[in-house]
Amino acid sequence: MQMNRKDLEQFIEAKEYVDTLLIPLSPVSINGDEQGKKVVFQGELLQIFCNEIEKYYTGRIFLFPPYYYLVNGSYQNEVERLNKWVGAAKEHPFEHVFFLTFDHFWKKQEKNIDGHLLWFPTMTSGDLHSKENQSLIKEQIEQIKQLITSYW
Amino acid sequence: MSEKKKQVSRRQFLNYTLTGVGGFMAAGMLAPMVRFAIDPVLQTRERGGFSAVVDVDELTNEPQRFDWQIDQVDAWYESKVTRSAWVYKKEDGTIMALSPICTHLGCVVSWQGNDDYPDQFYCPCHGGRYTKEGVNIPNTPPPAPLALYEQKEEEGTLFLGKAIPREGA
Ligand code: FES
Repeated sequence: MQMNRKDLEQFIEAKEYVDTLLIPLSPVSINGDEQGKKVVFQGELLQIFCNEIEKYYTGRIFLFPPYYYLVNGSYQNEVERLNKWVGAAKEHPFEHVFFLTFDHFWKKQEKNIDGHLLWFPTMTSGDLHSKENQSLIKEQIEQIKQLITSYW
Repeated sequence: MSEKKKQVSRRQFLNYTLTGVGGFMAAGMLAPMVRFAIDPVLQTRERGGFSAVVDVDELTNEPQRFDWQIDQVDAWYESKVTRSAWVYKKEDGTIMALSPICTHLGCVVSWQGNDDYPDQFYCPCHGGRYTKEGVNIPNTPPPAPLALYEQKEEEGTLFLGKAIPREGA
């Protein structure tokens, strides 16, 4: 389920079945340099991953809107703010909270955040529509799906 | 499965997956392969709301999953969306094309998705199950059978249209 009115209504009715919260951690940058392009590219990719996962498990996973943060900001403050987000979402008792990111900075903060961090390396540029990349992306998504279901 | 066993396999899985790209890709290769690639010949063929999905020759008695894309237009967006179906030939030669969308809360079911139920469709979300005909099995969460696609056959190609819901069993 996603953050829109229709899904939210369904969620309220079927709450006991939706026990997993997925939050994409998405850095933003408006810098046109290499680093900036990489960040934006990975943000797009992250959204593709999350949408695919949500589509498969729409009856059990609630996909939160992305948590956006500045790529050069202080991660310490981000941790605090992120935990507030999760706290608010957790008014509904989600049993499993996952964060999905390609940004390795979160890895160091893993123990300070309130949920399971799914971080892994992925491509940083390229054509998202080419055949090879599509099958690579699909394989990675398949792996994450299996990882998430292994917690259920 | 005991809790302990689960823990171990979860940790192994984490290691496997998170050690790096190498482990990641190796694991990827072991994953069951699903027909993801969309045949370019079929990609653009659409007739009156029906899309070309597969050559009838390719169908067997075993359900196979096929994906295709349609253009979806609503008031604000025009987008390509992927549709999927589980398709097989029955004993008498008629073709079954089932929607993979679970009638409980909409997760995606797979044929033989659970080793304990080898001849059923299985929903990973809350253990919903369906027979090969797509009929929901009592005492599992789904309230109705899987939807059936409208179908037609032209020159050896199977075309699928809308998925039509079926009444609860
Ligand atoms: S969504 Fe399939 S059993 Fe609940």
